[in-house]
Amino acid sequence: MTRSTLALKPVQRRSAAPRAKRTLSRVLIYAALLFWTIICLFPIYWTVTTSFKSAVDVTQAHLVPWVDFQPDWKGWRSLGLSPDTLFGTSTARSEFANRFVNSIITSVGASLLALILGSLAAYGLSRFRYKFAWMRNDDILFFFMSQLILPPVVLALPFLVLYKALALLDTRLGLVLLYTLTVLPIVIWIMRDQFNAIPIELDEAAFVDGLSTWGAFLRIILPLAVPGMMAAFILSLVLCWNEYFFAALLTSTDAKTLPVMVASQTGSQGINWWSMAALSTAAIAPLVLVGIFLERYIVSGLTTGAGK
Amino acid sequence: MRLISMQNSVPVSDDLHHQPAAKRARGSRKIAGRALVLLASLGFLLVLFIQILHTTGTPTAGFSDWRPILIAYLVWAVAFGIGQVLTRGERGQRALFLLPAVFFTVAVVIFPTIFGIYIASLDWNLSSIEGPRFSGFDNVRGMLNDTYYWNALGNMVFYTAAVLGEYAIAFGLALLLSAEIRARKFFRVVFLLPMMLSPVAVSWMIGKSLMEYRFGPAATLARYLGWDNPAFFASPWMARFSIQAMDAWVSIPFIMIILLAGLQAMPKEVQEAAKVDGANGWQSFWHVTFPIMLPVSITVLIIRIIFKLKLADLVINVTAGGPGGATDTVSSFIYRVYRDRSNVGYGTALAMVYLLMIIVLLTVLLRLSKRWTQKVV
Amino acid sequence: MVKQQEHDQHPAMHPSRRTVLKSAAGAAALGTSGALGAFSELAFAQANLRAEITKIPGVGKGAPTDADWQKVGELCLGPTKASIKEGEFKGVELSFMGLNNQNLHNLLFRGFLKPWEAYTGARISWIDLAQADYNPRLQQAIATGTVDFDILEMGAPFEGDVCGKGLASEMPDWVKKQIDVDDYVDYLKPPVGTWNGKTYRVTIDGDCHNFNYRTDIFSDPTLAKAWKDAGNSTDWGVPKTWQQVQAVTKFLKGKKIKNQNAFGYLDAPKPWGGFGFYFLGSRASAYAKHPDDKAWLFDIDTMKPRINNPAWVRAIQDVIDALPFEPADQLNADPNTTGFQQFLAGIGSMIPWWGDIGQVAKASDTSVIGDVVAFDILPGSDDVYNSKTGKWDKLSSGPNHAPNCAYLGWGVYVMARVNGDEKKHKAAWSAAAHLGGKDLSLWMVMYPSGFQAHRTSHFQYDEWVAAGYDRKYITSYLNSQLASYNHPNRAVEPRIPGIFQYYSIAEDELTKIFAGKVDAQTGANNIAAAWEKLTDQIGRERQIGLYKASLGV
Repeated sequence: MTRSTLALKPVQRRSAAPRAKRTLSRVLIYAALLFWTIICLFPIYWTVTTSFKSAVDVTQAHLVPWVDFQPDWKGWRSLGLSPDTLFGTSTARSEFANRFVNSIITSVGASLLALILGSLAAYGLSRFRYKFAWMRNDDILFFFMSQLILPPVVLALPFLVLYKALALLDTRLGLVLLYTLTVLPIVIWIMRDQFNAIPIELDEAAFVDGLSTWGAFLRIILPLAVPGMMAAFILSLVLCWNEYFFAALLTSTDAKTLPVMVASQTGSQGINWWSMAALSTAAIAPLVLVGIFLERYIVSGLTTGAGK
Repeated sequence: MRLISMQNSVPVSDDLHHQPAAKRARGSRKIAGRALVLLASLGFLLVLFIQILHTTGTPTAGFSDWRPILIAYLVWAVAFGIGQVLTRGERGQRALFLLPAVFFTVAVVIFPTIFGIYIASLDWNLSSIEGPRFSGFDNVRGMLNDTYYWNALGNMVFYTAAVLGEYAIAFGLALLLSAEIRARKFFRVVFLLPMMLSPVAVSWMIGKSLMEYRFGPAATLARYLGWDNPAFFASPWMARFSIQAMDAWVSIPFIMIILLAGLQAMPKEVQEAAKVDGANGWQSFWHVTFPIMLPVSITVLIIRIIFKLKLADLVINVTAGGPGGATDTVSSFIYRVYRDRSNVGYGTALAMVYLLMIIVLLTVLLRLSKRWTQKVV
Repeated sequence: MVKQQEHDQHPAMHPSRRTVLKSAAGAAALGTSGALGAFSELAFAQANLRAEITKIPGVGKGAPTDADWQKVGELCLGPTKASIKEGEFKGVELSFMGLNNQNLHNLLFRGFLKPWEAYTGARISWIDLAQADYNPRLQQAIATGTVDFDILEMGAPFEGDVCGKGLASEMPDWVKKQIDVDDYVDYLKPPVGTWNGKTYRVTIDGDCHNFNYRTDIFSDPTLAKAWKDAGNSTDWGVPKTWQQVQAVTKFLKGKKIKNQNAFGYLDAPKPWGGFGFYFLGSRASAYAKHPDDKAWLFDIDTMKPRINNPAWVRAIQDVIDALPFEPADQLNADPNTTGFQQFLAGIGSMIPWWGDIGQVAKASDTSVIGDVVAFDILPGSDDVYNSKTGKWDKLSSGPNHAPNCAYLGWGVYVMARVNGDEKKHKAAWSAAAHLGGKDLSLWMVMYPSGFQAHRTSHFQYDEWVAAGYDRKYITSYLNSQLASYNHPNRAVEPRIPGIFQYYSIAEDELTKIFAGKVDAQTGANNIAAAWEKLTDQIGRERQIGLYKASLGV
């Protein structure tokens, strides 16, 4: 292919240049990567190790386990997750488990719903030109985007009243609907870019083969966009998982989620650093796992698979 | 492109598909479709009417809550969708892509928006015995004199400008990650991690523990580097930078992913061609890569700015807007007014004005960016 | 020391648990029943019960676990069993809203109420709130009619909002008897917990600011010498007035104790959801609360704020003067920081705080100062401001003390929505009475729970010592509490609606003052203006009436 021949020439030219320059640039690249890795990881390392510290270690800010301080199960014990409390009754642990499950259900549910609604809308906005009253595609996009803008705090009273009327208070469904609303705009934007990158020719080819609009979408285009959908899904998941404000406002006993429990670790008797660290670690762990498993989709996926 | 508008203002689609767009529906189907929509609308209105009567006290039969309205709405939406397909055929099918999202959004948002605007016109302190009192534009007038609000707006200018810095760093990281490196998967996962920590955890573990003045690792590092009194939050500008640093730490992964995706999608031929033409690294970046990435950059910048304008969690938990209001954001101020002072009418008015300001700002940004991207293309 | 309630009116033929307890306490502690006859058996059993529960798990033996709470709850079921049949509330569902700070409060209640649920057959579901969400949630629930809880853990300042709107259920007489309401300390008796003469509150907590200080710093010979060398005529020791506090704070900057930097008084300039204002109040009460005047925050007849009178301004100025001598990041310290990140970790030598510091200093391992901390009532002032004359008075009795009875503490309230259903009403009140029980409350105030001593019967020091507390420590601690509670010139929190809004507005303005953007008097005037506006918004006439009622006028 022409690309490889093109590539040959620069390589030949480059090998003539001093190798040192290339090595230097590689060193710099890795150094930069390493530097940023430390910046990313250190606070998380700090959180995880704090969950294993006793109080004195926290206030003295010891860094390395077994070197500076002796690890202790204190943080995990307060949650009922340490080896010695794991099999006994623990109110904190059953609270944690309950909220964990609720968080999973609401986050996954909202992300899926947003994904479905958003992908459909994005495809439409990418392929067709809509006109509603004075609103064109871009205005419709802006309408969706404007849902993101309002600070959630002022929606407190309206949503309380609305949800009370709809009997959605303290229900997981209620939270799912609300979270879907908050992440839908992001899904639409991401998927629209994704669909824009898939060439029209594929749609055309599908029509030639006799598929209808929906058929073409479902059979041909959507499978190509799956990686992009993964990315949007993960981003939505992260946003919903950590949502605090509406979770604190609209839930009572049945639909409680995790972020409020993390926030409760501070109060009138100081800060339970170790519990908060343990909770934060437990809260971030699922996301990390999701990130690790679906990482390959996040990036390579946002490109068009088929064209390459 | 042919623009075919219908008599009723219903989403018209003209499109990129070069196929006969107007597969007109047969007459009987059209009538069936219209009838369906009419029926569903009537049904919905009927249920609504019953419920309104019920709540206003007329002792007719009604429902205990408004859930049936929701169900009726769903039925209506489905009927409308089907009706679209029936009456407008192919066009209806196209509209069907957009309708679910639109109906969903409108349903969830319409009541809160209207009610919110209503509250914004009230003088309502939740502790007051008389309850809400209509006050028209008094809240807005009060806002004009509110030093805290304008102070917060000033801070937002700083915070928003800082987004460019975040963008630059994220772009650099994206470039690094798309270079030929080993262990790419590892780095990608690691760089994503900051985004996953919840804001509460970030405020406390980083803001209060890591950056703690006496023993926090950040302070220790600062002392090691020669800064004797690393009080991160005691002076106005230092506090702003610290808050900004924490927010950047959390948000850069988000920008980075999207930029990385764009970079990966960029055709390699263009870069190679630039190299062949003798461009060095910087030139090839600035004249080739960057312009091609402009549309994606605009998208991500706008999303990031919107989130930045809502920044509140970090400020509330770490500095409570201090010292002396230096780090206060509009959202955290509204938070205080609405929650700590239960002054919900005033708080909602502040938010509505803020919303308007942002919409204006975004519209301007979008118009400008359109011209830029068109120049490039 | 404090005078116990000597005036029980119970006839000798029916000695109340309490009277016999007092006399038998010593005997019970030693395990002998003496020659007191049949009554002593009852008394012995009660005293034994108290001794037994306070040994679970034992002070200094680590934090109590869920199992401990349940055991204690089980042991304290006596009063419930006396009036409720087993399984009487089968099928009743109650919901309980409260805090879950640090896995205390509601989580404790769950443990205490599990045996109660098992015995009565009722079921409780729990609504847990973080501290910061409590006020908004309560207000918004009331405003939108989404009160979905039957029992509420609430602070006294919010009584205006809840009881004033008729949302609470009145306490039945049998509950009053079961929990022995006469046992409450004076300042927690009516009018606290009542509205329009009706009682609503099961008190489970008492609150006041006491003065916590480091004994090692104030007995250090090196510092004593340096103090004298600096030209001071008085001896080196714990300050008794705010004037002395300021002097000591300025003196201690730069000095070292045990190779650590020494600091004096710690201020908390950062807002803390309204609670930070109490700390300014503690500084100002000695200046602003005159023994002849019941009010200190507002004028009684007009609700005109006093925040910008010379007394308060002097207190604000004190903070401004002291801040340069406090740690470098003090501007970003809220009371949580000063109490738990600084004082308990060894920084600073004096702070005012609620009794949590004393509760935690020995019992928790966040603290490194357990052995060198002591307690007293808040410092006084050499002179006190007289609002009526506009002059500073020097009292003939010496410095003016005015302990700040801040927040008044948590209580358990039952919501009016159970009033329609008799079984539910009884169940809810039974649960509340169980939580407010006399013996259970002793356990709650001894161990980390978020609650402090509030009953006269809590102040039997022998019981604390028997549980494992160090005598000297507990005497100092409890004395400081009791002396504050019973002080004739105590400054009591006004229970008017929206009181936290006043505090929150003040905090915002104060940060500007402390950051140096505006001077003390101008800032205080701004606060006063904002408070006037707020009073009008809430309804001035009603506020005046309620303020008077809260002061017992």
